[in-house]
Amino acid sequence: MTLLRAKDLTKRFVSRGPLGAKAAFTAVDRVSFDVRLGETLAVVGESGSGKSTTARMIAKLLEPSEGTLEFEGEDVTRAKGAALARFRGNVQVVFQDPFSSLNPRHTVERILMAPLVYQGIAPHGSRRAHAKELMERVGLDPDHSLRYPAQFSGGQAQRIGIARALAVNPKLVICDEAVSALDVSVQAQVIELLRRLQHESGFSYVFIAHDLAVVRQIAQRVAVMSKGRIVELGTTAQVFGDPRDEYTRTLLAAIPRIDPEWERRRRERA
Amino acid sequence: MSDLLVVEDLTVTFSTARGPVDVVKDVSFTVGRDETVGIVGESGSGKSMTSLAIMGLLPKGAAARGTIRLDGTDVLGASPRELRQLRGDRMSMIFQDPLSSLNPYYTVGLQIEELYRAHRGGSRAAAREVVVGALRQVGLPDPERRAGHYPHQFSGGQRQRIMIAMALVCSPSLLIADEPTTALDVTVQAQILRLLADLREQSGMGMVFITHDLAVISSIATRVLVMRRGEQVEYGTAEQVFAEPRHDYTRMLLDSIPRIDDPLDEVSA
Repeated sequence: MTLLRAKDLTKRFVSRGPLGAKAAFTAVDRVSFDVRLGETLAVVGESGSGKSTTARMIAKLLEPSEGTLEFEGEDVTRAKGAALARFRGNVQVVFQDPFSSLNPRHTVERILMAPLVYQGIAPHGSRRAHAKELMERVGLDPDHSLRYPAQFSGGQAQRIGIARALAVNPKLVICDEAVSALDVSVQAQVIELLRRLQHESGFSYVFIAHDLAVVRQIAQRVAVMSKGRIVELGTTAQVFGDPRDEYTRTLLAAIPRIDPEWERRRRERA
Repeated sequence: MSDLLVVEDLTVTFSTARGPVDVVKDVSFTVGRDETVGIVGESGSGKSMTSLAIMGLLPKGAAARGTIRLDGTDVLGASPRELRQLRGDRMSMIFQDPLSSLNPYYTVGLQIEELYRAHRGGSRAAAREVVVGALRQVGLPDPERRAGHYPHQFSGGQRQRIMIAMALVCSPSLLIADEPTTALDVTVQAQILRLLADLREQSGMGMVFITHDLAVISSIATRVLVMRRGEQVEYGTAEQVFAEPRHDYTRMLLDSIPRIDDPLDEVSA
């Protein structure tokens, strides 16, 4: 079942030159894709490819210049008021830098309950009990619900960001470079957490990333973006195993790899 | 032939309000002429502090003890004046973010020229020629014209090439590269890694390459030092560290790397 449908999404940014002359830059150019219920669709690309602008448009944090966005069959491109609130109850975002996306002066409990407050939804049981339950789901100590973000490590702070996204029980979670800033050992744990949460709750992810190796560990389908366009979209197995587009091939070839012979020997010893 | 760089029992201590804290503890390694040694670790491992200690660039409040010898010269015992002589001439460093290392108000050509003349003297015209040659060597197209441009007029990859040109203009015997490709796109990263490997080979200098990325280290280093919380966890040839890691932490790091060539496993419920 199709959960979200982006059709010909386009974003142009207009800047004014010194003499008032307008110059338009097309950051995203007629991008179309579907997100199915329960799947993970990755959007990959290098800097300036338009992947983050695409993420912000489907999260309705940015108005598209052209094109349409449908959620569960309803056109939400220009949704306002009650329709927009309903959309936000279904679609949540996890950002790259947990510290800049968590209010440093609010306790974890207040941060986790904020989406419910905006939505006017009553928490399960007391606010405290609901916050503790969310913290447990993402592997944080529930006794720390009255601490502040600065009292957590980067990996733990990202877990708070994930818990906040899950507070309203969304159908789609958009992860915008959600594991890029983490150390590799912490990154592996957060990827495992994201996969487990999806396995438990059955929501979809749109996973925006520049790191193809990470994408391979989490996505069922991959869209490759370059210069504002999707140059290739297919199953993860096809895009990685049999890339059709020239740019995709260049991107895959550029990734540094550990000598496979060394890898094989290490695994044999383990 | 003796080693180019010898680091023995290096300890870096910060004095804090709560007393001294060792951020690097008893680290020892050597760099031969004509080789690349990789230092790998996660954030807080002390890898960058190790490199700053070698360059004599530790921040205020930090003190290093132990031994650092570059080509026989005692770096830790050197006076500030001697250190300024060593830096840029016999050892150079490149960083993750070239934009913060370049002055936005001067053309890149002038900045490299000043550095060159500070060490080697000579006329502006002669220095200019050296600078254009250095920019050509790092693969910057149209170097005569581009030397007259300002830092913001270049892309991220080009700026890193300019930093490399600046680091190498005095032909140092040691180059320290601290996360030089971390901020770059993967296709640009591949080009810069290739460039560094080629330049190192042509010039016969030694290189210390610092990164958090194990796959990057494996593609460029002959020997690898793994650090964790200021301590040296493992030190050996790249082949030994990657194929036969001796320490649990190294194994855990290697197991954590997302595999580009491996498909998804099922979620273990």
